[in-house]
Amino acid sequence: MNIHRVGLLSALIYTGIALTMSGVFLAVTLQGEYSWVTRIGGASWVFLLSMIVLMPLVSSFVKRRYTAR
Amino acid sequence: MASDKELKKVSLSIVGMTCVSCVGNVEEALKGVRGVKKAAVNLATAKADVECDPAQTSLVAMKKAVDGIGYEVILSTANLTVTGMTCAACVENIQQAVGDLPGVAKVVVNLASGSARVEYEPAITPLSEIKRAIRELGYGVEERVEGQEALDREREARQREIRRQRNNLIISWSIGLVVMLGTFQPYWVLRDVLPALMNNKVFLFLLTTPIVLGPGRQFFVSSWKGLKRGLTDMNLLYATGIGAAYLIAVINTFWPDAGFGGREATFYEAAALLTAFIILGRYLEAVTRGRTSEAIRRLMKLQPKRARVLRDGKELDIPAEEAEIGDTVLVRPGEAIPVDGLVAEGYSSVDQSMITGESIPVEKKAGDEVIGGTINKTGAFTFRATRVGKDTALAQIIKLVEDAQTTKAPIQKLADKVAGHFIMGVHALALAVFLFWFFAGYALWFVPESRLILTPYLLTGMGVFGFALLTSVTVLIISCPCAVGLATPSAIMAGSGKGAEYGILFKGADAMEATARLKAVIFDKTGTLTKGEPSVTDVLTLEHLSQNHVLHLAAVAEKNSEHPLGEAIVRGARERGLEPEDAQSFNAIPGHGVEAQLDGRSILLGNRRLMAERQIALDGLMPEAERLESEGKTAMFVAVDGKPAGIVAVADTLKETSALAVKELHRMGLQVAMITGDNRRTAEAIARQVGIDRVLAEVLPEDKANEVKKLQAEGLKVAMVGDGINDAPALAQADVGIAIGSGTDVAKETGHVILVKDDLMDVVAAIQIGRQTLRLIRQNLFWAFGYNTLSIPIGAGLLYPFVAQMVSPELAALLMATSSLSVTLNTLRMRSYIPPIRRPGRTGTLKPTRAAMPSPRTEPKEQLT
Repeated sequence: MNIHRVGLLSALIYTGIALTMSGVFLAVTLQGEYSWVTRIGGASWVFLLSMIVLMPLVSSFVKRRYTAR
Repeated sequence: MASDKELKKVSLSIVGMTCVSCVGNVEEALKGVRGVKKAAVNLATAKADVECDPAQTSLVAMKKAVDGIGYEVILSTANLTVTGMTCAACVENIQQAVGDLPGVAKVVVNLASGSARVEYEPAITPLSEIKRAIRELGYGVEERVEGQEALDREREARQREIRRQRNNLIISWSIGLVVMLGTFQPYWVLRDVLPALMNNKVFLFLLTTPIVLGPGRQFFVSSWKGLKRGLTDMNLLYATGIGAAYLIAVINTFWPDAGFGGREATFYEAAALLTAFIILGRYLEAVTRGRTSEAIRRLMKLQPKRARVLRDGKELDIPAEEAEIGDTVLVRPGEAIPVDGLVAEGYSSVDQSMITGESIPVEKKAGDEVIGGTINKTGAFTFRATRVGKDTALAQIIKLVEDAQTTKAPIQKLADKVAGHFIMGVHALALAVFLFWFFAGYALWFVPESRLILTPYLLTGMGVFGFALLTSVTVLIISCPCAVGLATPSAIMAGSGKGAEYGILFKGADAMEATARLKAVIFDKTGTLTKGEPSVTDVLTLEHLSQNHVLHLAAVAEKNSEHPLGEAIVRGARERGLEPEDAQSFNAIPGHGVEAQLDGRSILLGNRRLMAERQIALDGLMPEAERLESEGKTAMFVAVDGKPAGIVAVADTLKETSALAVKELHRMGLQVAMITGDNRRTAEAIARQVGIDRVLAEVLPEDKANEVKKLQAEGLKVAMVGDGINDAPALAQADVGIAIGSGTDVAKETGHVILVKDDLMDVVAAIQIGRQTLRLIRQNLFWAFGYNTLSIPIGAGLLYPFVAQMVSPELAALLMATSSLSVTLNTLRMRSYIPPIRRPGRTGTLKPTRAAMPSPRTEPKEQLT
């Protein structure tokens, strides 16, 4: 797998996980009495931090998995 | 499967191949690497032509395969200057990005010196690609130049960075302070002295925006460049912190009912002061960072610019770098000596302190060596240039120190790794803190009357999202381990520079760290503890022979010897008017002695082991030999035609500082041993005189390395101090090989630490500098990590349920900047450090007192061979 495909696959994985996490956050807030701004703002912050945490983790994992280093 | 188009052809230079089977081995090894399609090795050109799929294989894999079977792949090395690095994460990011390139085998980045050393194969990855990878991350890069040009460029780059951050500092602080005053306008006396307009949220928005988008822009740009490659660094912490504070303030200004705390929660001053504090930290770092490499700068400044040479009978004033070997160079009093050479005419004293650390000027007469960069004090003289340009002692020393500063100590590799993962960890923690305060903490403990520490700000209008976000942002800022990246390399730079001041050259950061951890020091005897200039003290003969006759025969046998003891015998004979003839044959028996033939007679000269091997009975000579040996003399037996003839005793003089150095090492808690080929009795006598408690006697030269190994097997970190050429295997085996008295030809030495002077006190000084450097590193790491450990729980709101006060993001930024500053200031303390042994009143000679000396312990002979 070439380097561009590895990058694309990584992006799909970490974006997917981050979206899932912010979706879970949103779902949990629906159980409480939060305003929509609070819900969306919180979900956005969760998405941003999740992306930052996951990007290097997933990228290096995928690179290791699919290239010979 | 890669198509032929995607395959890349690479030519590797391989060292160590001698025959066809080597060719086969290398080809097999290369073909075994995943992604290698073809490998053809040419023995004559020592090259391997490889066809490989770059997506599947790498140079590292190929090099590892070839190196693994005992050959070596030779690679190109590039020394680069990298600008714009600010933290350990920058180092990790560059190492990762460059290390991932297929043609790069090794990359070491040094934050403190702003440099990168890359081992790579240009056929796979050209240098331009390496540079592009670094530039794409947002850093500046150019090939490193040496000498004065490097000094000028480095200074220029540093000045540019200082100017840039100073401008940012002026903008962010001048506007930031107005924003702060405006924010607090309704409080205290400010209400009466400041117009209400200053507290207008739109006014604050207009002031804060240029700070965030101007001086603060660098953090967003750098973190975005890193994120595009999946890399995180400190800039990301700043960007998320500043960005979140600014965004909330903007939302609360223009959409106050959006639920982020309303108009009372517009933290414009947080975004503005956060930027200002971070830039203050950057500015202080830029100013202080260059100062840690002051020593190397001082060395570079020593390089004289001009030389006055005599060519064709004319005196010419030329640039020093144009001087050629063989030129006759003129030097007047007070002038710097431009290049290395040998004095031809004249007499003077020369201040060599800048190279050797020797404080007293050294007298120079015809035939003496002079070193470029040193200062002529009194007389005028001429000398013949022997080394010029990059070969001068000064140029070699500068190169050695520079190389040492680009290496990494093991402790630094660990710190870099931790710091690299720290950023990710901090974001994960910020997420956890956000979720905790959002779902649990706010409902449990939030008090509307609570406030931010050291501010009159009440958090009354703050909603759950605003409060959780504020805490999360504070954690991001307060956790920033920006000081970690500087902690170790700056200390190593300061330490290696300090060593160079005293003529102590550490060949790498690992050598410096190993020196600090030493537990035992082994000294070679001859030439190290002693002056290495032995002389004949006694000649004892059996009754029927004269002393002169025995000494003459011994001198004949040793005439062609290069061993110091042999030279002493020849010298001793000549002093008595005996000129030794050339022997018909001569054979040196390493570690034992020599044998020679003269006029049909067989002469054997050597130790008792040699005599025992040749079955020569020494009964009549043994009591005298033992007496001589107990006096510290080396007794060498002479036998003629298989029969004993006499003893020639030779003794060496101890160096003035040997005993004091050993005493100091003992005081520092180190074990001290002496290694020698001498017999046990002589060795013990010498050891007693200097106070050494462990003697490794009767060790053959080739066994010295094994003796070092035995001490290492006891769990000791061992230094071997000896002659860099004769003791090379033992120096290499030791954890730290210290080559003593290398003089000016430092590049040829094999040790890990090179002492320019022939002074054992420098061994003590080297260990003291090593220990001080390691102490600095530990202190720096404590300041860098310890601060985080303490401040993270506070930033995360651990104390909030008890004191109802939160740390504001700008206070977090101030604390973070303090951490960086404390590390750089702590490192700067090294500039005034003087090794205790070199402090006034500490140097001098110590007369050995037999009664005070510990009794030496000799290793049993069986264990030695």
